Amino acid sequence: MALLKGTLDALVLKALSFNALHAFEIARWIEDGSAGEFPIESAALLQALHRLEERRLVTAAWGVTENNRRARYYSLTAAGRTQLRFETASLKSSVAALGALLDAKR
Amino acid sequence: MRSDDIRRGVRRLFRLEVRRPERAGAEADAELDSFLDEQVRYLESRGWSPEAARAEGLRRLGGSLPGARTRLHHSAKHRERRMKVLEWLDDAIADVRYAGRTLRRSPGLAATAILTLALAIGANTAIFSAVSAVMLRPLPFAEPDRLVMLWEENPDFKWYQQDAAPANYMDWREQAGVFSDMAAYPSFSGTTTVTGQGEPRLLKLQLVTGNFFRVLGVNPLIGRTLGDEETWSPGAPRAVMLSYRTWRDVFAGADSLVGRTIQLGGRAVEVAGVLPERFEIPGVDVDVWQPVRWDPAARSAASFRRAHWLKVVGRLKPGVTVEQANSALQSVVVRLQHEYPATNTRMGAGLTPLHEFLVGRTKAPLLVMFGAVAVLLLIACANVANLLLVRAAGREREVALRLALGAGGGRLFRQSLAEIAVLALVGGVAGLALGWWGTRVLVALQPAGMLPVRDVSMSWMVMGYAFAATVLCATLFGIAPTLWTRRRVPADVLRDEGRTASGGLRARRWGEVLLVSQVALALALTLGAGLLVRSFLLLQRVDPGFDARGVLNVELSLPGFRYDSVHKVLSFYDELERRSRELPGVEAAAVVSKVPLGPPTWTSEFAIAGREPLPKGSEVMHREITHEYQQVMRVPLVRGRRFAESDRQDAPPVVLINETLATMHFSGQDPIGQRIAFDRLPDSTSTWRTIVGVVGDERQGTLGEPSRPELIAPYAQEPRSSMTLVIRSRGVPLVLTEPVRRIVADLDRNLAISSIRTMEEVRSASLARDRFLTVLMLSFAGVGLALGLVGVYGVVAQLARRRTRELGIRVALGARAGQLQWLVVRHGVLLTGAGVAAGLLLAAVATRAMRTLLYEVAPLDPLTFVGVPLLVLGTAVAASWLPAARASRADPCQVLRAD
Repeated sequence: MALLKGTLDALVLKALSFNALHAFEIARWIEDGSAGEFPIESAALLQALHRLEERRLVTAAWGVTENNRRARYYSLTAAGRTQLRFETASLKSSVAALGALLDAKR
Repeated sequence: MRSDDIRRGVRRLFRLEVRRPERAGAEADAELDSFLDEQVRYLESRGWSPEAARAEGLRRLGGSLPGARTRLHHSAKHRERRMKVLEWLDDAIADVRYAGRTLRRSPGLAATAILTLALAIGANTAIFSAVSAVMLRPLPFAEPDRLVMLWEENPDFKWYQQDAAPANYMDWREQAGVFSDMAAYPSFSGTTTVTGQGEPRLLKLQLVTGNFFRVLGVNPLIGRTLGDEETWSPGAPRAVMLSYRTWRDVFAGADSLVGRTIQLGGRAVEVAGVLPERFEIPGVDVDVWQPVRWDPAARSAASFRRAHWLKVVGRLKPGVTVEQANSALQSVVVRLQHEYPATNTRMGAGLTPLHEFLVGRTKAPLLVMFGAVAVLLLIACANVANLLLVRAAGREREVALRLALGAGGGRLFRQSLAEIAVLALVGGVAGLALGWWGTRVLVALQPAGMLPVRDVSMSWMVMGYAFAATVLCATLFGIAPTLWTRRRVPADVLRDEGRTASGGLRARRWGEVLLVSQVALALALTLGAGLLVRSFLLLQRVDPGFDARGVLNVELSLPGFRYDSVHKVLSFYDELERRSRELPGVEAAAVVSKVPLGPPTWTSEFAIAGREPLPKGSEVMHREITHEYQQVMRVPLVRGRRFAESDRQDAPPVVLINETLATMHFSGQDPIGQRIAFDRLPDSTSTWRTIVGVVGDERQGTLGEPSRPELIAPYAQEPRSSMTLVIRSRGVPLVLTEPVRRIVADLDRNLAISSIRTMEEVRSASLARDRFLTVLMLSFAGVGLALGLVGVYGVVAQLARRRTRELGIRVALGARAGQLQWLVVRHGVLLTGAGVAAGLLLAAVATRAMRTLLYEVAPLDPLTFVGVPLLVLGTAVAASWLPAARASRADPCQVLRAD
């Protein structure tokens, strides 16, 4: 199933809330965590990261991966953390509302 | 600044990336490649073949590889560009905040700098308001550039830019083909009384030719303007135009007034229209405009070409230049010279752009004041620069430390700029507010008519000027400290440890240059003020030829329609004089056609019986008085007798002459008994009058002008309807105001008194312009000098502080306090001396512009040029002494232990 619109940003922020990660690690965190339920389009993810950086929700810096390759590591800013709390709350209530609708008896 | 944001300097320091949109594409590519790599590696580790892993990676890309690259390039570039701007803004905000913090940390400095700037910019704004209103704003007429003032000149009479004779005006108008039209107005204005609107009110009346408003291109607010035919058809009903002010104040601004008749000077006249509020002729204050009336048949009368009393305004045809118009006018002038040899042989004419003609006289004082405030602004800039420099020198270790820690020189430069911007902005806004207030004060306190236009207020042009002045000022005072900040090498500063005097040497040099220029400018300004003060003191000491104390004067004008015979006029003034004389406390009372120190009365040429005709242009002034005039004014009698009560209409015609006339024309002979006529070439109709006495000179025009030759006739033999009652009181003259009003009301209930003033007020008013300019200049100079002295104090104090250790050692070695003080003071005195020398040179050139404002004081007046520099030097020594005294009192033990 495809991701709901706007959900990708929230998931990226969530992924980064534990640790600074590079783009592929973020993709894997989402795919692993959803048991492959949310496949990620790589280009869309990178674009989302650019967008988040532009909004100063994340910062980026070049670093070195476990495989000894250069990669751009992203970490959450204070503003990103606030944004994550806000999006989590609103997504959760949307999902609850969605569930309630789908469970409706009549 | 947000904690999560890494500053650029730090980024560079830790080799983090810096915003570079041009590199964004390459970075996005690198990131994508690294992503795909990691993905392939991961899939391979899960057992995929390299080819399958690669294919899977591209499949999950969500589009073609080139497409993805393009999208990512775009988003990365966008991001970099946006963030660059944001970071710049962040830096700017941080810089401004930092500037605010540093300024708050030294509130004394900030307050001084801002106050200095505000004062200078405020003064500039106020004066520039006047300059722009008078000199830069176009006249409130249509296409004012095409308007010129035409005038006459005559070398025989030393006339230049004089009023034109009506017949000459008419010929110019008809014969010079370069004008669309030409209008004229008498150079004098009269008064008229409006009745039927409550209290009778005196209005200022100006006659104009009917085409006047069309030539100026002024449309009425309501109603119509006058027409040319209203001048040339004597039988036509009379119509007037009202000024906006009169319409609003006297007639309650009623639209219905147009076309109605009002009672003006006892006559019913129609209100043709009302002029717009903005309409005014600079220097001419008018309530009612009435068409002048000429009978076309009377055009050839000799008086029409002989009497010169018109100001002529012409509108050039489109495309005609002033030069072309002038040459066209000259050909008419030549024709008239041949056609009318009796009057026009030597009569020339010329023209001047109208605006220049009307405001030209005001230019000199305005420009001098403008120059003064400009100098004040420079002094203020130098002062603020010096303050900042002193502070920068004090902060050099902090700055060096920050440089060493990796702060970019550019960033420090920007911070320094931000500080300047904050100071300039606050100072500029405060200055603008001060200027707004100052403009109103200037207008309120200006002597009547000094600024020839009514509306002097802050315009966009003034705002622009204030802004430009602020920017200029910020640039000037910003240059020194920022340049200095840029050039410091941190290692030097840190090594210095503040132990030697060499630290901040460059800052000190800068400071000294600033100080010298500041002193020079302040000196020049003070010299200018000194010249004006000298001139004013001399003016004030001028003996006007009469004793103003204790004299009240009451101006009256009898309306011709009710006082239509000499008898009625004479008996009114006789009765007025008689009753006034009987008031308690009155010593003497008289009636005079004009008191001295005011606009001129009429003049004429004259002849002395038994002599050759006098050369052309030998003019005398005329006045008419009653017999007690000289007692009232305490004008001395030099020879002969004064007028007696018996010098009436039926008595033989007599005349008094003033001393100037006696010396000019009767030197070495007794004028008493000689006879005079008021024409250059007397004929059978001329009246010969016998000189019965010589009286002291009175200054007729201003205190600054010498007395002119004058003929004084008994009022009863030369009656006028507008006269001034002068009363000498034994006590305070103003006490007589009410009793005199009662007498006037008793004699004629419908008569409005033109003015009641004491003679002291008249005298004071004649000095008003000089006093105003002097006070203004003096206050500018005071501020300039105070700023200069603060500068001297600051530099010397800084020096003393730097040399504390050295002085301490000297004390320890047995130097006396006086010697130490001199060490410090000497520095201040040397700098001030250099400034004074430079200022003298500057002033020697600059004060030449003041020549027209000075009375009997040369622009290089020795007294001023010695006195003022001494004053400046003296105060500078005093300003240097304070810090010197403090430094020499320092306890050597403490000073030496301090490091």
